[in-house]
Amino acid sequence: MKIFSASGKILVLIIILGLVALMGYAIFGNRVNIKASPLIGKQAPDFTLRTFDGQELNLSDLKGKTVLLNFWASWCMPCRQEAGALESSWQRYKDKDVVFVGVNVWDENSNAQRYMSQFGGGYPHGLDPNEEIQIDYGVGGVPETFFIDSSGNVRDKFTGPLTEQIIDYFVLKAQKPQENES
Amino acid sequence: MNNYSIKISYLLSTFFIVLILTGLQSISLADEGKSIDDQTKEISYLLMCPVCQGQSVGESNSNLAHDMRDIIRKQLEQGKSKEEILTYFVSSYGESILASPPPKGINWLLWLLPGVGIILGGVVITLFLFKAQREDKNEDSQEINTQPKMDNEYLNRIEEELKDNDS
Repeated sequence: MKIFSASGKILVLIIILGLVALMGYAIFGNRVNIKASPLIGKQAPDFTLRTFDGQELNLSDLKGKTVLLNFWASWCMPCRQEAGALESSWQRYKDKDVVFVGVNVWDENSNAQRYMSQFGGGYPHGLDPNEEIQIDYGVGGVPETFFIDSSGNVRDKFTGPLTEQIIDYFVLKAQKPQENES
Repeated sequence: MNNYSIKISYLLSTFFIVLILTGLQSISLADEGKSIDDQTKEISYLLMCPVCQGQSVGESNSNLAHDMRDIIRKQLEQGKSKEEILTYFVSSYGESILASPPPKGINWLLWLLPGVGIILGGVVITLFLFKAQREDKNEDSQEINTQPKMDNEYLNRIEEELKDNDS
């Protein structure tokens, strides 16, 4: 029994392929245009961090400076990998109105303290006790680093271990005036 | 009504029931009267866990999903609505955090294409059944026409052979 003629079959096949292609485009096609973080170009969510040395650090107090906000955990191997680059970059930038802040997430306090003494460097680190800061910033894993400009806007987000070159690139970019992104 | 007509009406009614059920599935229930626990659960199933493969925040046991559920609960306790909470997560993680893409822009395709597929499928099935019914009818009428012809041929042959035997 023939339901469609040969040309009818080709037409049905084209329609099916067209529908599959449209579906594929709808699912995957627009992903390319999605920015690394919806926060980029927007005001960085404010937070108060209780640092490991007992101080309170408010992001809003750092306005006027470029901020490198790094999320890490003691069990995270790439965090150990980037620790050296963070420390040496901080040494170079600490007197140039660039502030480094480490936020410890999903961790035990004792493990975080041990990690700090080994890899912490000289810049302030604190615990995100209610894991609210990381969700405000849309953190999905560690390490993730946000670069915030002197006006308090998130300029970039980097996922994965940093190197000195990557830090230089994003810090210098954050120090430049923001271009209007449409 | 013959067998094929029954089959066709059966299939068409099944097709429309599936359409109606698909439509009903997308209608969400009102939040009023639900406990914080129920609302937390409902919202957590509307968000995808950013560190899991294909799991919602409600399904995942990851630390992040756990934290996200805590934040949903906290925001509900603060009196925030479901929409406000979803907007908060979208502002942090982007639209990809939503389990169902919002029906706007290219996302409309995701909402419309399954329906178009179902309708096209229904049309193809209906065409198939109508064609099958028509061909079956043709075959039946051909059988009715050929049967007496065949019988006549046999009868003629028998008669001829009997005549031959007699002579």
